[in-house]
Amino acid sequence: MHILKSPSSLNAARTLASLNASTTHRRFNSTLEPVPAGGHLPSIATSKILRTTRETALRTPGLTWSDEDASAPSRTIVGGRETRKMNTYQAIRDAMSIALAKDENAVVFGEDVAFGGVFRCTMGLAEEFGRERVFNTPLTEQGIAGFGIGMALMGHTAIAEIQFADYIYPAFDQLVNEAAKIRYRSGGTYNVGGLTIRTPTMSVGHGGLYHSQSPEGFFMGASGLKIVIPRSPIQAKGLLLGSIRDPNPVIFMEPKILYRSAVEQVPVDDFELPLGQAETLVAGSDLTLLTWGTPVYHCEAAMHLLTSPPPELESVVPASLRSAKIELIDLRSILPWDVETITESVKRTGRLVIVHEAGLTAGVGAEISAEVQKRCFLKLNAPVKRVAGWDTPVALQYEKFHIPDAIRILDALVETLAY
Amino acid sequence: MIRRELSGVFKRALSQSAARRQEHLPTTQSPIVSKLHFFNSVTGNDTQIPTFRVLDGVGKPLEGAKIPEIDEALARRLYENMMLLPTLDNVLYNVQRQGKISFYMTAHGEEATIVGSAAALEMDDEVLGQYREMGVLLWRGFSLDKVMAQCFGNEEDTSGKGRQMPVHFGSPEHHFHTISSPLATQIPQAAGVAYALRRTPSRRSRSIAACFFGEGAASEGDFHAGLMLASTIPSPALFIARNNGFAISTPSTEQYYGDGIASRGPGYGIDTVRVDGNDILAVIAAVREARKRCLEQGRAVLVEAMTYRVGHHSTSDDSFAYRARAEVEDRKRIDNPITRFQLFMESRGWWDADSEAELKARLKADVMKAFKRAESLKRCEVGELFTDVYGGQEPWNIREQREELSGLLKKYGTIWEPWRNELAKFKNKGQDLVNPK
Repeated sequence: MHILKSPSSLNAARTLASLNASTTHRRFNSTLEPVPAGGHLPSIATSKILRTTRETALRTPGLTWSDEDASAPSRTIVGGRETRKMNTYQAIRDAMSIALAKDENAVVFGEDVAFGGVFRCTMGLAEEFGRERVFNTPLTEQGIAGFGIGMALMGHTAIAEIQFADYIYPAFDQLVNEAAKIRYRSGGTYNVGGLTIRTPTMSVGHGGLYHSQSPEGFFMGASGLKIVIPRSPIQAKGLLLGSIRDPNPVIFMEPKILYRSAVEQVPVDDFELPLGQAETLVAGSDLTLLTWGTPVYHCEAAMHLLTSPPPELESVVPASLRSAKIELIDLRSILPWDVETITESVKRTGRLVIVHEAGLTAGVGAEISAEVQKRCFLKLNAPVKRVAGWDTPVALQYEKFHIPDAIRILDALVETLAY
Repeated sequence: MIRRELSGVFKRALSQSAARRQEHLPTTQSPIVSKLHFFNSVTGNDTQIPTFRVLDGVGKPLEGAKIPEIDEALARRLYENMMLLPTLDNVLYNVQRQGKISFYMTAHGEEATIVGSAAALEMDDEVLGQYREMGVLLWRGFSLDKVMAQCFGNEEDTSGKGRQMPVHFGSPEHHFHTISSPLATQIPQAAGVAYALRRTPSRRSRSIAACFFGEGAASEGDFHAGLMLASTIPSPALFIARNNGFAISTPSTEQYYGDGIASRGPGYGIDTVRVDGNDILAVIAAVREARKRCLEQGRAVLVEAMTYRVGHHSTSDDSFAYRARAEVEDRKRIDNPITRFQLFMESRGWWDADSEAELKARLKADVMKAFKRAESLKRCEVGELFTDVYGGQEPWNIREQREELSGLLKKYGTIWEPWRNELAKFKNKGQDLVNPK
C-alpha cells in the first residue's frame, strides 16, 4: 500500500527516483538526471518571491528574532546577523535543530526520521541530539499522533512526522477527537500545545493518488487545531519555530516539491514568523489572488503571463487587461486564517481568485469564499472564483491537467477581470 | 588441475560455514526446523493462560498462596473505597433515573479490579482511564463534591466546566487524565505520557503511566498502536485490561477468538499476567509486580483482570435485553469482590457487623450530602461555551461567534421562554455575554 515504505528505508527515496529514471534516455543525454523523489519545480529558480540575498532575507516582513539574550539593545537590528543558502528541507532541519538545542523537553519522532528522513528533513539530528531525542517509531500514524499527544499532555515538546499527508487519516481520530479538544474538554486543566505534526503535502509531479494530496481542508473544521503551510525556506523555518512554540497543537504541512526547488538565503539565527497572518507578496488594486504553498509560484507565473503574454497567448489575453494590477497574497495559516487581510484587500480590489491544489468541493476555498461574500458582498464586482484540483483523486498520468497551473490561473484572472 | 584443487578447498570451506549457519537465519535467534509445524498457543502447551488468585470465593487464602503485604489500616482503606464506589454508583444511577443528571456509568462488580490497581500504583503515577475507573480517583482523594460537580456539570466542575457528559472526570492534581468518550484513544497516549516520564529526570525510574481499558476497546487499532510503541521505543506504560465480559451487549465470545487480551502481550514481547479481577489481594500483588517490571524494564507490561460487569453498560442500557437475570444474580453471589474481601478481613479480626453498619451509614450520608449540595448549584457562566478552545490569543472566529450569540441572547433571551428558562440555569443567567464588563 505505501509503495515508498520498502524494507530498506534508504530505498524509499530511491524508489520514486528510479520510477522516473526509466523514462529518461540517459545513454543519449548524459546531462539529464532522475527527478528527485520529492519532485522538482524548475520555474521556482527564477521566482522573485524568494529572498535570495542576505539583505532581503534579513528584512523578511513579520520576522521576530528569538534571541536568548532579551536584554539586547534592539531586537530588530540585523547588522551582524548571518544567512546561509538553504533549500526548504535544510531550513526545516535548521528549525528543528534550534528547537532541540534550546528546549530540553523537545523530541522528534516518526517513521524513518533517525537516518535523516525520506526527504532529509532530519539529517544529522539523531547524531547530534541522540537516539533518545530523535527516534524512529513503528509504522503507525495513529500511534505516532497518540504518542505525541501523550508527551504533550505532560508538557513536553513533541515534534511528530507523518511521512506523507496522504497517510494522515489513521491519525484523524487522535487529531480531531483528542488533540483538538483536550484543552476544551478538560476545562483548560490539560492541553497539548506542545504537539506539532509535520507532514509533506501537495503534488510532486508523479505522486498519483497517494503521494499528492492536500488534506488541509479535512482539518479546517477541527477547532482547537492550527494548520500552517509555508511556501519557502525562510517561511518554513520561521513558521515551524512559531508552530512548535505555539500553545496549540499545530499541523505543519510542507509542500514536498519545494524541499529542493525553493532555495533562499535563510537567517541562521533563531527567528519566528507569525501564525494566523497572511502575507501580501505583491501589492495590487484590481484583483486579489489568494493561495498557499506550491501554487504561489504558479500564480506568480500567471501574473507574468497576464502582464506580458507570449505571442501564442496574445489572442486570449485582452490588451485592456494586461495592465491590471494583481494583489498576490500567501495565506500561510489555514486555521485560523487571516480574514482581516483578505477582507481589506477584496474590499479594495472587488475581485477574488482563490487557488488551491485540493479538490474544489468543500476545500478551504469554499470556506473563504463564503466568508468573503458575507463581508464584501456589496464591494464585489465579480463572483469569487476558485481554481482548484478537480473532484477526482490525483491521477498519475493526468496530473498536468489536474493540479492548477499558470494557464488555468491566467484564465481565471482574465475571466474574473472581464466579468 | 590447480583450479580443481582450489575449488575443492573452497567448496569444503563453504560447506563448513554453511553447516554452522544452519541453526538459524542471519539476523535472528529463531531455530531452524525441517518439520512443518503450526502452533496456536501462547503458553506452549495448548492450554489457556492461567489466572492468578490468592483468595478463594469466600475470602480464604488458597493453599500455598502468598498474601501481599497489607496491614489493617490498608485493608480498611481498601474496603472503604470498595464500598464507597457502589454507594456513589447507586445514588447517581437513581439520580439519573430521576432526570437530574443526563447519564451515568456504574462499576458494579469491578470494584476489586479498580481499587486494587489504584492501591498498587503510586499516587503520582499518571493514570489514563476509559470511563469505569472513578475508583482510582476516589482512592487518590478526589472529593465527593468534585464527583458530583462533574456529574451535574455545575459551576464547580473542575474536570471540564460542564462541557462533558457525566463520568468524564479529570484532575492533574490527582494525575488522572481527563476521560474522553472515544474508546482506546488513551492507549497510545499512555505510551507517550510514559516516554515523557522517562525523559523527566525527577520522574525517570520512579513513575509510570497506567492505562485502563475494557476488553472491547482492546479490539481498536489504537490498542495495537499503543502496545507496539510502548514495547518497542520503549516506554514505561502499564496496560490494565478490565475484561468484564461485555462491550455493551457484545459478549467477549463475540469480541475476540484468541485467549483473551493476555495472549496478545507476548506478541509484543512484553511481560504479561492474567489475574482474578475480583480478588483484590491478587490484583494488588499482580499490579505491584507488574509496576515493578514496568519500571525496571522501562517497557510496557500487560495485566488482564478477569471480572464481570454486574451492572448495565450505562443508564442508556438495559442489559436484561441480552442476558438472563439469573446470570447476573449468580455472579453477584459467586466471586463477589466485596464479599470475598469482607470475609477475609473478618477472618483477620479486622471487621465486624458493627463496622459494616457504621461504614454504610457514613458513606451514604456523605454521598447524599454532596448530592444535595451539588443539586442546587448553577451551571458555569454561559460564556464558557467559547473559552479554552485555543490557548494564547483567541482567534477571530471564536470572538465573532461569541459576539453573535451575545447579540442573539440580548434579542431573545428574555422574550423567548425556552431560552429564558435555559439561561436561568447558568451562573449570572447569561449576563456575562449580554452585558460584558
